Amino acid sequence: MTNLPGFTVDVDQNPYLPAGGRDVSAIVTVTADATGDAPGGGPAGGAGSAEVIIVDCSGSMKSGNKIAQAREATLAAVDVIRDGAWFAIVAGTSTAWPVYPADGSMAVADMRTRTEAGRAVRQLRANGGTAIGQWLRLAHQIFQSCPAALRHAILLTDGENQHEKPEQLAAAIALCEGAFRCDCRGVGTDWKVSELRKISATLLGTVDIVPDPAGLAADFEEMMRGAMSKRLPDVMLRVWTPQTAVVKFVKQVAPAIADLTDRRAPSGAQAGDYPAGAWAPGESRDYHVGVQVTAANVGQEMLAARVSLVAAAPSGDQVLGRGLIRAIWTDDEALSTRINPRVAAYTGQAELAAAIQEGLEARNRGDEETATARLGRAVALAHQAGNEETARLLAKVVDVVDEATGTVRLKKKVAAADEMALDTRSTKTVRVRKG
Amino acid sequence: MATCPAGHDSAGDDFCDVCGMRIGAPPAAGAGEACPRCGAVRAGQFCEACGYDFAAASSALPPPEPPSATSSSVAPPPPASAAAWTAVVTADRAYYDRVRAAGGPDAAAISFPAYCPQRRFRLSGTEVRVGRRSASRGIDPEIDLTGPPADPGVSRLHAVLIANPDGTWSIVDLGSENGTQVNGSEIPRGEAVPLRDGDRIHLGGWTAITITRGG
Repeated sequence: MTNLPGFTVDVDQNPYLPAGGRDVSAIVTVTADATGDAPGGGPAGGAGSAEVIIVDCSGSMKSGNKIAQAREATLAAVDVIRDGAWFAIVAGTSTAWPVYPADGSMAVADMRTRTEAGRAVRQLRANGGTAIGQWLRLAHQIFQSCPAALRHAILLTDGENQHEKPEQLAAAIALCEGAFRCDCRGVGTDWKVSELRKISATLLGTVDIVPDPAGLAADFEEMMRGAMSKRLPDVMLRVWTPQTAVVKFVKQVAPAIADLTDRRAPSGAQAGDYPAGAWAPGESRDYHVGVQVTAANVGQEMLAARVSLVAAAPSGDQVLGRGLIRAIWTDDEALSTRINPRVAAYTGQAELAAAIQEGLEARNRGDEETATARLGRAVALAHQAGNEETARLLAKVVDVVDEATGTVRLKKKVAAADEMALDTRSTKTVRVRKG
Repeated sequence: MATCPAGHDSAGDDFCDVCGMRIGAPPAAGAGEACPRCGAVRAGQFCEACGYDFAAASSALPPPEPPSATSSSVAPPPPASAAAWTAVVTADRAYYDRVRAAGGPDAAAISFPAYCPQRRFRLSGTEVRVGRRSASRGIDPEIDLTGPPADPGVSRLHAVLIANPDGTWSIVDLGSENGTQVNGSEIPRGEAVPLRDGDRIHLGGWTAITITRGG
């Protein structure tokens, strides 16, 4: 029996519903126990982890010396890989090829393989097109050659996916779903946020802009440290609901917003699993769960949902922690009309992300009216939520007249990097602590 | 094995494994009776086989009818509230400025409201009328923009939202005085224009209606 760490599951909600009320909403805080040993079925060290670094080598990487910075960043990331972990490096143009190991397998990290990888990476030159689906397919194939359960990739690009059809990229993403996680980075401003967001959302990773290639090495190192801290692969959030209830949504809301509603996989009677990815000891995330139940009589109490953290183990699924979302019907309006402050705060932050994305989209369409309205709403919400980072990014795109009411004017000139930074970081939330 | 108030067998002894009800609570009224529609054994307020609502049937009130029951429509009811649509009414400064700039005959007489709380209307039934209530003319629209604040540019019976069989909605301008815009373009009067999630309808001097799904 493997010794999996436990999870603490805290549920924050107002369980009281008015007579006839059906909608139950709760913030579920999930925290992995901070155990010192290395669980997850693997022996101590890195053998349970596998990393593939995918480097864009298209012709445009020549400009601004991006390819040189990408080489440095790749080497910095390789240096952080734990001894014993598996790794490989892939170069991508309109096709993809293994840079190290050259035979398309994975190497075990040690002094010798790191040096060899360094030599191979220094040979990388920029020349060719961009077909990101091909890159992902090769990474997928390389991961197949190793037994590690914690599989993670870093994908770097500087351009749009020009040399294959969107359907080809979509098919490649679907192939990789569940097989490995992928953090995406766009360098410069000629890549498309929506493209990389599709990859990172499906593959449970992050997406961000690195406007200046000089920042790549530090960013790669940090991403790799984050990946190396993960010890527990493929955790599922299992939501059980009563027979007549419907799960309206399941969203991760901290540290960033990720809507998991459509990712449900049925698991047994009245339950569905949502992917929660890999976890580091002590890591904590918040989820917003909405359930619609059939109303019961005033005074009755119902379990609206049971949220469990489940890990697949050879001996069957193991439940690592659980929390209960309840519904109690009352005729006391003072109870039923109260809104849980954490539910309210995260609802506002989810609206903030949507307002930013809609506003920027409208702005690019030339619909200034909608853009002004949505970005104005975003300014007001960021102000309310105390999300200073997002407020700062918004102020580079609009002139704020009054942040409380969200009165703004679109700036005539906006740097592409500022707009893309706002777009990619719109889903980052401010953690709402239990008050 | 515990038994819940609705009569289910449950392995869990705090909440029922089937219906989620707290175990140990008093039994639900009428548990065990047969559903008058399909004959299944009752296990709560709703029949778990066909969804029949026991509570509605046993109350003295007539069973609930959809809001526009007079049309005795044969169209299926809109799908369950998983896809519920909401109309959110706000005052839109940018639209107001455009109306003023366009300079219609009475444009200068309309002022932008100093305070306009957001109003939300859940779309239900088969038709939802948009206008301003008039007792004398017997107009009582579901989305009543009488205010305050009142937008004098909105006609008494301005437009109607119509439920499509697939659960989405369309808008028809009913020959209003000042017209209706969807996402910034004027729509032809008397023609159904399909609406999508997030579409913005503008009418009158400053009124904006945002249509959202699942709001």
